[in-house]
Amino acid sequence: MFTRGTLIYIGQRLVLIVLAVLGVSSLVFLGIHRLPGDALFSEHLHGTQYELTLHHYGLDRPLWLQYVSFIGGMLHGDLGESLVNRGVSITPIVVREMSVSAEVGIVALLFTIGIGMSFGVVAAIRQNTWLDYVLSTTSVVGYSMPNFVVATFLILAFGVWLDNITQGTFYFQIGWPGRYGTIGAIWLPAFALGFPYASIVARLTRASMLEVIRQDYIRTARAKGLREWVITIRHSLRNALIPVITILGPLVIGIITGGVVIENIFGIPGLGKEFATSILNRDYNIVIGVFTGYAALVGLANLGVDLLYVVIDPRIRY
Amino acid sequence: MAATAAAVVTRPIAPEQASLWSDAWRRLRRNRLALAGVVYLTFLVVVALVALIHTPYPTYEVGVGIPYQGPGGQHWLGVDALGRDTLSRLMAGAQISLIVGVGTQIVVLAIGVPIGLAAGYFRGWFDQVVTFIINLFYGIPDLLVALILVFLLGPNLTNIIIAIAVTRWMDMARLVRGQTLSLREREFIEAARASGAKPSKILFGHILPNALGPIIIQATFGVPAAILFEAFLSFLGLGVPPPTPTWGSMAAEGIVTIRIAPAMVIAPSIALSLTLMAFNFLGDGLRDALDPRQRR
Amino acid sequence: MASPILQVKDLQTQFRTHDGIVRAVDGVTFDLYHGESLGIVGESGSGKSMTALSLLRLVPDPGKVVGGRVLFRNQDLLQVTDEEIREIRGRDIAMIFQDPQSSLNPVLQTGFQIAEAMLAHKMASKTQARQRTIELLKRVRIPAAESRVKDFPHQLSGGMRQRAMIAMGLANAPSVLIADEPTTALDVTVQAQILELLGDLNQELGTAIIMITHNMGVVAGLCTRVLVMYAGKIVEQGPVDEIFDRPQHPYTWSLLKSIPRVDALRHERLRSIEGIAPDLLRPPAGCRFHPRCPFRIEKCFTDEPELKEIKPNQFASCWVTMDRARAEMGADQLLDIRPGAASGLEPGKLVD
Repeated sequence: MFTRGTLIYIGQRLVLIVLAVLGVSSLVFLGIHRLPGDALFSEHLHGTQYELTLHHYGLDRPLWLQYVSFIGGMLHGDLGESLVNRGVSITPIVVREMSVSAEVGIVALLFTIGIGMSFGVVAAIRQNTWLDYVLSTTSVVGYSMPNFVVATFLILAFGVWLDNITQGTFYFQIGWPGRYGTIGAIWLPAFALGFPYASIVARLTRASMLEVIRQDYIRTARAKGLREWVITIRHSLRNALIPVITILGPLVIGIITGGVVIENIFGIPGLGKEFATSILNRDYNIVIGVFTGYAALVGLANLGVDLLYVVIDPRIRY
Repeated sequence: MAATAAAVVTRPIAPEQASLWSDAWRRLRRNRLALAGVVYLTFLVVVALVALIHTPYPTYEVGVGIPYQGPGGQHWLGVDALGRDTLSRLMAGAQISLIVGVGTQIVVLAIGVPIGLAAGYFRGWFDQVVTFIINLFYGIPDLLVALILVFLLGPNLTNIIIAIAVTRWMDMARLVRGQTLSLREREFIEAARASGAKPSKILFGHILPNALGPIIIQATFGVPAAILFEAFLSFLGLGVPPPTPTWGSMAAEGIVTIRIAPAMVIAPSIALSLTLMAFNFLGDGLRDALDPRQRR
Repeated sequence: MASPILQVKDLQTQFRTHDGIVRAVDGVTFDLYHGESLGIVGESGSGKSMTALSLLRLVPDPGKVVGGRVLFRNQDLLQVTDEEIREIRGRDIAMIFQDPQSSLNPVLQTGFQIAEAMLAHKMASKTQARQRTIELLKRVRIPAAESRVKDFPHQLSGGMRQRAMIAMGLANAPSVLIADEPTTALDVTVQAQILELLGDLNQELGTAIIMITHNMGVVAGLCTRVLVMYAGKIVEQGPVDEIFDRPQHPYTWSLLKSIPRVDALRHERLRSIEGIAPDLLRPPAGCRFHPRCPFRIEKCFTDEPELKEIKPNQFASCWVTMDRARAEMGADQLLDIRPGAASGLEPGKLVD
């Protein structure tokens, strides 16, 4: 499976990712440094204090010099120092938050694929029954709702109403215990994050299954006397999977971007939350770090999807 | 004994030739969900226009009601944190959503269609460059690019429209390019070329009209995507700045106080969802109506 | 021949469409005897494929078997439970289809699809199934069977794919093999090979074969008895030799007449059957073939004929029959075979 060709491919992709990350962060860096100088500090500093702080961060040097040292730092994995909290190194923060965002994203992805495909298959098998119509309409509703709307209703249902109904025994508490949260904390945000995409997957799976079950080879399978569920899973589903896999790339990107909003709603300490916080605090160094982290995350996610193709379809080799 | 013979079964008369558009229109009319979408959207436009001259309460005036009050007689959708009437703000918010939605698509069409046509028709180095640029843009997630742009340029309506359009023009360009590539091989284009038509006439007189269907569908789906985008931006605080009411920022404000004043977040959420749904149903209906393959 | 292994009585299969009910199979009755090869012949839309699918309850939506009985080993296949018919499919009665390219699953190995038939009915263990698959592939004359087992369908040629399908059908040594136009999608030379294979297998294994085709030549080469179908009904049935020598139904006669012959005289025109295929939504009144029949009489316009034994073991549903057509209307010398040409009857023409 992981042939020499594949490893070379992975290597090439990693190089491309590094280049993309550098590109994105350069863009942001240059963009930010066009802003007027004193916008860079939240407190208003004057006189020597101002100059000392400026010097500490190297902001009194010419722009090209700053850029060079910035890139130099990047290549060492150093994203600089927080503008708001002196002495706090940004890199470990960003790395930690990347893993949190990735964690939520992966749970959401599993949910999306799992629920989405199941519903799609059921709707296809029971085509034109009430079940199909309900599921089909739900799916259009599903991807028409922004994920924060879904989150809102979920919080209402499981946080407020459930709380009222059960007098406080069962309810969903917005929060994030520990570094990586708990199942209880992660399921609702992951659900909200994945729901619009699950709807798209369901729709696509349904359409794909409908085409597949009309194929002659399904008729052959039935004529052989195979059980229905065997036909559905071994024969139909495997062929219906193929279009779903093609949208996996954009899907993952969508989950990453959607995560920005979801993290802010649920207070999940990921890159998205950091983004909002750092903008609020005007901590532009962290802003650069966040964008850098996102560029890396997206690149790695795309690579992951492409490697998934290799695992699923043995005919694909790089 | 005489007997009359049975009549020979006659073949059914061929139905009247219908043009693609009237045929599609007929099919669209039959799609109830799409029609519901159109009705709702018309209603929305009316509301937005009305809001220009009149809303139940002045949109920006604070303190017209008791803050966090729920829906009731005087304030149909309740009151927000600063005592502003939610319904009035919702109506005004419709303007922003529609402007952003339609505005971005206009920009996308203006950029994407000509580029797509040129790339698909003339091919060669121009096409190579265009394809490379398109792939480049696809490499970076749209929200991040939009965030960077809005962040750097400053949040106002025009910048938001530009930022969103910049991240989504590739879809239209790629579609138009693909359509052009396949259409240019058709015989009627060859005939036009042979009769000496100029490229601009071929592009705009022959190819574009035939590609119009998918273009319209793409634009129809592009509007809710743009509105959703704007809602995300507003939610993150990078949308049109306060005090202008947008549905996204209203939802953001409302979600923190969801326990005491759920109406604040529910109202804009439902408005957003219905609007997006309406556009999606309409887009689906258009796609089914314009699909030459009858799927009975 | 002893008692029949399969008895089909008054089978009726219909399709509900917006425009009405299509009677694809409208009262089909026949028997199948042990080890015989029976041909079902007809043009597109005659109901021959639907008849076969109905036997195993494989009729696709919106079709349904609405009447009749299919007796197999003292059971009515139309009445047994879903589980029971599932057991019978592939094990006692197997069916192979027309286009092996689309009838085999493209993402599964060929050998697996054959072994699957055995494993599904618990006829063998995994290792036994694998062994037997290779034996079967050899039986159907696929060279290098051991390596072919792992190939995907797209890696095999058309002829080999069809052989693989036959292997799949015979995996569990069924009593009946239904072959729905197995050679139509193949080259002529490959066709001959496949037919020869089927004939040999029929002899060696004693498996009864129902061969569905529109090609009279295929029937002549392989079958001992034949049913001729038209517009959802059987119009003639009997031994192949008799039918070919002395067909009794005008449709059969027209079919045979329209086959171009190598020994035909140069000036003889190619003949086709005039008219269009019958509309199964609103079939013609009276005899369904009358709009295209050269020998029709007035009764044909109004009354539908039933299958009658014209000669020993040869049945036809016709008011005229070819014997009379030959005697009274000069059928053998007929050059013009347009509808009503021999009997001189047009619609609307009164006859005294």
